[in-house]
Amino acid sequence: MSEAYTPFFYTPYRSYYGDETYKDDNSNTRYNKEVLADWDAYFQKTVPAATLQYLLLEASYSGVDSVYKNYKGTIASLPAKLPQLKTLQVNKKQLTIFMDYLLLAKACEKFAANYQPYYWGDDQPKVEVPQQLEISLSTAFKQAKDTFVKQRLWFQLLRYYYFLERADQSATVATSRTLKTFNASKESFPKNTIYYRTLGYLAGLYYSKNDYATSNYLNSLCYNYSYEMKIPAKWSFHPQEESDWKQTLDMAKTKEEKITLWQMLGTYFDAERAITEIVALDPQSEKLDLLLSRIVNSAESDLNGAYYYNDKDTAAKTTLRKNLVLIGGIAKKNNTAKPYFWNLAAGYLHSLNGDYPIAKQFYDQAKGQLPKDDQRVLAQYKLLDWSLYVRQLKSIDAATENKLIEPLNWFADLRTQKQDVPYLRYYLAVDQTIDLLSELYKKAGNPVKAAAFKSYSDFYRSNAQIEQLKALLNKPNKTAFEQAMLRYYPLKTEDLNYYQAMVLVYQDKLPQALAMLEKSNGESTPLLGNPFNIRINDCHDCDHQMAQSTKFTVSKMLRMMNNLSTEIKAGRNVHNNAYLLANAFYNITYYGNGRTFYQSAVTNADVTYPTSIPSAFRNMILSCKPAEKYYQIARDAAATNEQRARAVFMASKCERNESYTEAYDLPESSNMWDADVKELFFGKYFGALKQQYANTKFYQEILQECGYFRSFDGR
Amino acid sequence: MLKKAIYLRLCVLLLLFTACCLQACQHQSNASSAFYYWKGTYEQSPEQSELLQQTDSRRLYLRFMDVKWNSSTKQLAPEAVIRFRDSIGKTAVTPVIFITNQSFEKIKIEETDSLAFYLNKISQQLAAAQHLNYESMQIDCDWTVSTREKYFRFLSQLKKFSHKKLEATIRLHQVKYHFRTGIPPVDRGILMFYNMGKLSADLSARNSIYNKEDAAPYISYLSSYKLPLDIALPLFSWSLHIRHGKLIQIYGKIGKTALNNQENFEPTEHKNVYRARKSFFLSGVYVKTNDLFKLEAVDSKLLTTAAKQLAPQLHKNEKRNIIYYELGNLDLSSFKAKDLQKTSAYF
Repeated sequence: MSEAYTPFFYTPYRSYYGDETYKDDNSNTRYNKEVLADWDAYFQKTVPAATLQYLLLEASYSGVDSVYKNYKGTIASLPAKLPQLKTLQVNKKQLTIFMDYLLLAKACEKFAANYQPYYWGDDQPKVEVPQQLEISLSTAFKQAKDTFVKQRLWFQLLRYYYFLERADQSATVATSRTLKTFNASKESFPKNTIYYRTLGYLAGLYYSKNDYATSNYLNSLCYNYSYEMKIPAKWSFHPQEESDWKQTLDMAKTKEEKITLWQMLGTYFDAERAITEIVALDPQSEKLDLLLSRIVNSAESDLNGAYYYNDKDTAAKTTLRKNLVLIGGIAKKNNTAKPYFWNLAAGYLHSLNGDYPIAKQFYDQAKGQLPKDDQRVLAQYKLLDWSLYVRQLKSIDAATENKLIEPLNWFADLRTQKQDVPYLRYYLAVDQTIDLLSELYKKAGNPVKAAAFKSYSDFYRSNAQIEQLKALLNKPNKTAFEQAMLRYYPLKTEDLNYYQAMVLVYQDKLPQALAMLEKSNGESTPLLGNPFNIRINDCHDCDHQMAQSTKFTVSKMLRMMNNLSTEIKAGRNVHNNAYLLANAFYNITYYGNGRTFYQSAVTNADVTYPTSIPSAFRNMILSCKPAEKYYQIARDAAATNEQRARAVFMASKCERNESYTEAYDLPESSNMWDADVKELFFGKYFGALKQQYANTKFYQEILQECGYFRSFDGR
Repeated sequence: MLKKAIYLRLCVLLLLFTACCLQACQHQSNASSAFYYWKGTYEQSPEQSELLQQTDSRRLYLRFMDVKWNSSTKQLAPEAVIRFRDSIGKTAVTPVIFITNQSFEKIKIEETDSLAFYLNKISQQLAAAQHLNYESMQIDCDWTVSTREKYFRFLSQLKKFSHKKLEATIRLHQVKYHFRTGIPPVDRGILMFYNMGKLSADLSARNSIYNKEDAAPYISYLSSYKLPLDIALPLFSWSLHIRHGKLIQIYGKIGKTALNNQENFEPTEHKNVYRARKSFFLSGVYVKTNDLFKLEAVDSKLLTTAAKQLAPQLHKNEKRNIIYYELGNLDLSSFKAKDLQKTSAYF
């Protein structure tokens, strides 16, 4: 459809489609390009663009005045940045006419195009329309001979009257000078932008006098004239009562004018009613396309929104069912200007409603009508047809896979921008269909293909599955289907290796973990704190802030952990080594200072709340069992009660974290704040501390630092 | 004989006691009537002046401006600043400023100082231009726990800059949960005894402007609220526009008369709910076939119910204003001066 309609495409949250900066809303600049071009043509390109730009669009009244005075010789010199008109090779008479006009126009801008922001403490800006301008404007208008300038003066004069009369309670439109000025010369000028801008002000006057019927009719003429005029005219279009809307329709002189009115109504109020009316007037009208696109897009938006909020939105479905009858009925007649457009839309609405076979009939009808040279429409058809095809699949066999190869590659090309179809919106459709394929493979008991299409966290619970996927990724002679499918898998073998290394660490299989880490891409992942430090109260930020003489990476930490483990097994310095190893095991859990360890491509767990860590990984990442084991070894190998007290207290943290972990894992804890922590009310380690180590210095320290322990002690 | 004498004496005593009691129970109202004026342009019709006179209202709570967050300029800005078509005359005026709660969400606490400074300045300018003297200012803001600190600091600053008595509107939830939302640092509160229900597309939902059931859980907390209170009561109606089971808009301008037009609407099995027979424009609103309009109205009977429910919860001896919301858009045919006087007299 015409690009001029793009601002009116359906968009749920903005006034105009594609207007991210709201620039289309209220702007004095929309006609600038045309104004410049008009004057450039007037001077037959003899005035430099920068000079015109400055004079027309940038200079103030006094700027123009100075330039003009300099030209006339009453001011000897000008600041360097102002244009010197004397130096121009230009028709002198035209230049004088232009400058005379420009001075008047700049004077008018003060009340007509001078948006004044109202800041705190300012008096409210008042728009004063200067009395004396009337004589200057009307004299200039009467005396002007040149039609080009005369029409602009007509515009200025009418706009002047509009501003004068709009707030005047006593003036009626019939007696207004605005209308008189318009009527006196309306036949003398070409029907160009200036004409319709003038007409727009007349429409404004009718509006200010509550004649909505006429105002809306005139605005529809402006709307229909050009792209630039569409937004302001639509913005001013406000039928009040059904009676004035009917009067407006009666004012339409041609079928085309009536269609324009219905399109305006359809764009914001009622596309269905408008389509019905326009089809009755002229099914070939190009003004139908915009309304059809709005119906399709709003159905999509309503249904997706409802899906997103998990809301059974029967209202959206009721509308959908009504619309597929309306659109389907029109499509079947095949008498619109672009019948394929209607057949595709009808098919799509039916597919949204789950009527796949009917949808297919409409698509098949459209197929034969598609314009062979329109890449965008062909791509749209392909996308719709593919979506429908995938939605109807019950299972996938080898023959089906062969059929999928070409479209899979084609969409992958779009996604990787190897191929570009301008303005084609395919993300959602491709995402949804790829999800469906993944689900089909899952159902068929083929988790590897399911994950290849759409990586899902439960897949990684099984190491055997990971190995199969790795084997597929590294298979030397992949089939064409496998190649196409793997274009949708976002991870690499190295990512999977890192994940496997991570799992081995949590399983306390450190040598194997080290070997796997070397084959991954995570060796140099930095750790933000020293993983071998521990505190009475956890404080990641403190650990991250502390000066670190050595910066730890995952690889460095793992090597040290492995050395400690070897030393412990050999029975050397067991208390110290076990205590340090326990600290590292603690710090690579969710509760510790080294979360970057588990935040990887597979776990995707760079989140703040434990409940947001996918459940497939949550227990592993939250469990402090390995740490607790080594704190116990440290306790058993200690030489003093101070050492023992310390190890026991750190083990008590693991015990307590375990009670949080259990709570997070409950299905009702999807929101962390609702997680119902079953109080592990002072577990076994607190009792041990009180009974055996109450006379240590460390005991006093934890009494001081840990309120929870203090409350236990005070019981 | 003796017995009879005692009996008679007792009877007399009892009678006397009853008479005294009755007299004591005869409540002398300390309340005065007053009105809010909430329109953008102040203009006074003869009927409005008459109503003010008949209800003996000597004070107008005049909305001076709204303060809202402007998302494109990323700053607070005054909006819909009042314009005067008529002069106020001799009626005493309390300027009211409505500030959205979002305003306080958006600004930093330090910025509340300049907000107070400018609001005071603009209020003074607006009042001076109309030769108005005022001794108190009112701020209307539905603050929450998260904006409390900033809002209260703003109020303290405004007090400092203005040297006026300061009033703030209080919603029922702020009374019940005052330990959370706090009590604003002002001289008086104005209890808004309306907008208590949930706006809902549910056709059998109670009147959201006022209904006894929704008010009930809150009013017992009033006697212990630590601010002297004036009372704001509703005199407005509106209709809820419902399409496909969703509330899409609320209109003050579409009322009983429009909805009773049989050509456009038909009544439904639900009380006060009307169904559109066709698609059409109405007062600038586009109505689609089968749209529903739910009328929520307040009449003098409902007003009496509200007053009877509320008055016993308040300290009897305090002087207070009963402020009716609002005069500018009031449908003068639905409320008589004597109804309002009767309502005020309950307090």
